[in-house]
Amino acid sequence: MFKKFDEKESISGVQQLKSSVQKGIRARLLELYPHLENYIDQVLPKKDTFRIVKCHDHIEIVVNSAGELLFFRQREGPWMPTLRLLHKYPFFLPMQQVDKGAIRFVLSGANIMCPGLTSAGARMSDAPRAQVVAVMAEGKQHALAVGLTALSTEDIAKVNKGVGIENCHYLNDGLWQMKPVK
Amino acid sequence: MADRDLTMGPREGITYPIKVQYCGNCSMPIEYCEYYPEYDKCKQWLEKNLPTEFEKVKIDEEENAGGEEEKKRQKRGGKGMLKSKKKEDVPKLVQVSRAPRGKKKSVTVVSGLSTFDIDLKVAAKFFGTKFACGSSVTGDDEIVIQGDVKDDLFDIIPEKWPEIDEDSIEDLGDQKR
Ligand SMILES: [Zn+2]
Repeated sequence: MFKKFDEKESISGVQQLKSSVQKGIRARLLELYPHLENYIDQVLPKKDTFRIVKCHDHIEIVVNSAGELLFFRQREGPWMPTLRLLHKYPFFLPMQQVDKGAIRFVLSGANIMCPGLTSAGARMSDAPRAQVVAVMAEGKQHALAVGLTALSTEDIAKVNKGVGIENCHYLNDGLWQMKPVK
Repeated sequence: MADRDLTMGPREGITYPIKVQYCGNCSMPIEYCEYYPEYDKCKQWLEKNLPTEFEKVKIDEEENAGGEEEKKRQKRGGKGMLKSKKKEDVPKLVQVSRAPRGKKKSVTVVSGLSTFDIDLKVAAKFFGTKFACGSSVTGDDEIVIQGDVKDDLFDIIPEKWPEIDEDSIEDLGDQKR
């Protein structure tokens, strides 16, 4: 999603959010990520005013008043956390661990193939299809990508070929390198 | 390393938000530096800024020197190479020019400071204080200083940022705004 993203060229506008819209997003996030419940006031304080950065390819990014990038989505897709946010609160997405050999591919933006999730160094936690997941790596502590499951984890194990998780955002992609929005 | 606990939910005894240590060179969590094409620069940064972490990396590398780690890796096709940041391609150059402001006054425009990784806000503040005049960040890599101070900049910039020598400052003369 952000492989060719460039903050200078890909942003089309910034919009202040009405409080009703802000409330809606907050409620939607809690629905998607129930584990955030006790932390939502830290992540999206009620009193803070948020903005949405509109980008090319129908991508939107939620930014807080300090300019930090928090969540993004494409079209009407689910809101996904940025890696910087996920690193702070690493517990609200199902974790899927790729083996060591897959790391460099994920970091170059490739989708996560099923065998990288089923080999000896890999581990999965149950997730349905089209679920937002954190991509972790064997031997590493922090997430290296955020993705959407292309198959349920059950099917990933069964089929064991082709794309298992679509790589939406990874370390050092255009979104990672985007500076806080003033 | 023990197997990761994959269950969701906050962990007991941990205060959130967690502060992850990011690398000053590649910007990733330092555990991922080894995948960066300019890993040597990451190591230099680590040695300078986080000597204890640097020691750990060194020990890890010595332990894995047998090449066992390489063999364990699954062989895969494709390149899977990371690209380093594009920034390196931009030539390092500061440009200064003078532009009219109203009938009598002029402003000075400075661009290119960020090719030297200089924080523009800090720089604008510095110029404002130095020349006792208005100075603000006006663009992606542009600062406008109220007043004609162009000639002074050739002395003041290298003095403040020794990495910029006088030859890296280009005089664009008078420009229309
Ligand atoms: Zn690094």
